[in-house]
Amino acid sequence: MTTTMKRATCAATLTAAFLSLSPEARAGDGRLAIKVGRIVTLAGPDIENGTIYIEGGRIVSVGTDGGRWDAEVIDHPELTAFPGWVEAHSTRGMDRPNENIEVAPFLDVRDSIDPINFYFEDCLRQGVLAINVQQGNLCAIGGQGRVVKPFGLTIEDMTLRPSSGLKIAIARPGRSRALQAQAVRRAFRDLRQHLEKLVQDKKEGKDTARREALFQGRDPDKDENKKGRAMEGNAPWKVANLESIPRGEVDEKQEPLLRLVEGKMMAFVACDGAISVVQALDIARENGFLANTVLVLDGDAWKAADRIAEAGVPVVLAPQLLHVDRDPITGKEVETFVPGIFREKKVRFALQSLNSSAQSLWFQAATCVGYGIPRDEAIAAATKVPADILRLGDRLGSIEKGKDGNILLLNGDPLAVTTSVQFVVLDGNVVYDRSKDVRVRQILEGVEQPNASAVDSGDGDDVDPHSGASKGGDKKSGASDKKKD
Amino acid sequence: MTFLSVALVALSVAQDAEPRAWTIQVERVYTGTGRNLEKGLVLVSAGKISAVTPGAGEEDDRPNDVLKAYAVTAGLVDAGVRVTNWQSVEQSKEVTPHLRVADTLDPFALDWDRQLRGGVTTVLASPVDRNVIGGLSVVLKTGGPESIADRTVKADAVLRGSMGSEPSAGNHPAFGRPTDFFSRRPTTRMGVEWEWRNAFFDTALNLNEEDPGRATLVAALQGKLPIFIQAWTTQDIRTAVFLREEVESRPEFAAAGMNTPRFVIDAAAEAWKEPQLLARSQTPVVLPPFPTAGRTRENSQMAWNVAKVLKDAGVPFALSSHGSGDVEQRLANQAGYAMAGGLGFEDALAAVTSTPARLLGVEDRVGTLEVGKDADLVLWSGEPFQPGTRVVATIVDGVLRYEGWNAVQGAAIAR
Repeated sequence: MTTTMKRATCAATLTAAFLSLSPEARAGDGRLAIKVGRIVTLAGPDIENGTIYIEGGRIVSVGTDGGRWDAEVIDHPELTAFPGWVEAHSTRGMDRPNENIEVAPFLDVRDSIDPINFYFEDCLRQGVLAINVQQGNLCAIGGQGRVVKPFGLTIEDMTLRPSSGLKIAIARPGRSRALQAQAVRRAFRDLRQHLEKLVQDKKEGKDTARREALFQGRDPDKDENKKGRAMEGNAPWKVANLESIPRGEVDEKQEPLLRLVEGKMMAFVACDGAISVVQALDIARENGFLANTVLVLDGDAWKAADRIAEAGVPVVLAPQLLHVDRDPITGKEVETFVPGIFREKKVRFALQSLNSSAQSLWFQAATCVGYGIPRDEAIAAATKVPADILRLGDRLGSIEKGKDGNILLLNGDPLAVTTSVQFVVLDGNVVYDRSKDVRVRQILEGVEQPNASAVDSGDGDDVDPHSGASKGGDKKSGASDKKKD
Repeated sequence: MTFLSVALVALSVAQDAEPRAWTIQVERVYTGTGRNLEKGLVLVSAGKISAVTPGAGEEDDRPNDVLKAYAVTAGLVDAGVRVTNWQSVEQSKEVTPHLRVADTLDPFALDWDRQLRGGVTTVLASPVDRNVIGGLSVVLKTGGPESIADRTVKADAVLRGSMGSEPSAGNHPAFGRPTDFFSRRPTTRMGVEWEWRNAFFDTALNLNEEDPGRATLVAALQGKLPIFIQAWTTQDIRTAVFLREEVESRPEFAAAGMNTPRFVIDAAAEAWKEPQLLARSQTPVVLPPFPTAGRTRENSQMAWNVAKVLKDAGVPFALSSHGSGDVEQRLANQAGYAMAGGLGFEDALAAVTSTPARLLGVEDRVGTLEVGKDADLVLWSGEPFQPGTRVVATIVDGVLRYEGWNAVQGAAIAR
């Protein structure tokens, strides 16, 4: 079976396991009332025996009154309603996270996200309902990320916010720090030179930029592409006479970087250590995007916590919450609990999952509680704070009137090891029902599927997701296998 | 920044080496004997537990140092800690039962501190499984004097060996190219099993009189020395169980009085597939760490309810972290993952304390909170094994060996 064939079958059966929605239902115009024993709103006190009413994909009311009964009712007095977890940064769910081009601001994970990747399925199972998918750290400027929901068969279905931010990597494994930092700086210098050349060419009467724009399929005469818009915002450097250049004439390969400089896009800047933090902040200041910067930290980057606090930027923490250093003199290991440092410095921090399954965001929040972070702050670091960082605070992060109709129904305390997600409501639609989740039985109960074999699902280490979905489906795919062979 | 890292770190090893008299005051005493206390005291003197009583919070005039935490359990016991490297196995022969892994252990290694930070106080250290029968494992404390001999709880505790592909990994057949050290037996699973049977039969038939490992094999076949066999997959678990049944049923072994070996299957990830096989022969197992995505080493599949399946089938089992230094893979987390798979708290506690202690034959000293046992205690910030709970202090033989740091309050344990 070819990869495409496998993907297609996989997609078909996944929707079966993960509750297929008819096109009418997808529109989000359904009405849903969720009655539960407890609502953890994260926007005030918990509500006992409450009802959440969702209409048109948005939460209409949250309270103890019975609400309106012209809706489909989900009644689970034994369950707890909880807002979805929010992943502030992830390099998973893509075909491959890195391009072989050093500076690629024009790339978009939209073209790389694989909607049926096992990762998204697992996100749903773990209750992660918004994920900022970003490129990896192997490019200087990796490209544009996208905030997605873990459900849907097309990128458009999944998208919460396109072009959420540019991925910038200050250091890259296996490359000298100096070379990589220089590559990032050069990207901005190249942008500036490009803009200067546009002005110069215009002065000399050349129309190469215009012809190039037309060649790239952009019309420089369209309103939004017209004159005077070539550079907006408060960039610390200006290009003289740029007003004379229609926006549409800016090379599309450079344009996203220009948007960053203009403050119209965010930057997720990967820092592998304290030294990278200093460089990242410098580059962001030099190019005017400090206010839009989120640092994605790794290694000993926490040692620059004072600088980060001073710059006022939020951070996404490395999945390893406990950083272990080897003392150079004694050789002993020294443990540092990283979220504790940032809490003390009053830096806004979001947590990252260690992996998509066993140590997802709930586990990370629980670990924070173990090390003394107050429970509400620990939970906020995987709900509200990442929602705010992704500029989706008005839609995600709590169960409140007006927010997206995203609800987890849990069978216990959100941070307990024995708790699991029973149902997921996304935009007012029930998109996950644990009792119908075939793979959760494979993982949890070891239910062996007939003909179980490795499958190309992107992550590579998973068992066949479709062989056990249904007996009929099994036979069918088996038969088509043979024909193909 | 150096200031920061010094000020905010966990204190990995406490300064005093002498056992102190402690009064441990907690909300929950989980003794591991079935008798738990709400608001209780554990008193420690001279390195032993001197009392387990109700009554936390009351003023008393004991001259003891007081430690307060949410809960206390016995120090955790890991029967599958993997703190050894390739230097722990002598590969000049496939079968080296007489070699002692204790001789290769480094008391200054960082592994011991890592274990203390996770609340593990007693471990079984084994040779790595590059030999079919690697040698003798040792049970020792993770904290104590910096000498392996002084930390040893039980020398020559078990005989360690392996089924599966690991002992033959890297070996290759001799034909086709010049022979070298690795063109040798075994190169297959068959070859690995043959080495086991060869060693056992030679011992029973007294064909290995000259072999320095003979006495060890005799003790093992007589059941005086447990045999820990690594077997991840169902296939290898079967091979191990059938080997045991062969020894029990063949007349050669009965005639020599060597037909009562005690097998323990280590790293039995796929034990859930045929629990009745293990129940039938009452073969205990040690489970490897839970994998995040279903599959683990030897391409075995480990279901998250494996511990519950074994419990229901009546198979004794212990959990293990394989010595991982990763916070999320520590032994206490493994107990939590077993609970996520349906195991009850008391059974999870037993699987990381009393059961491994019994499998290792050290249950008279460690594994439960009882008067007279070694003062190996773990103090917890909340309900043990939850990811939101951490080890705040570890006491070994009455000495405070690890004291955690709280990100907000500073000290993790109250005094």
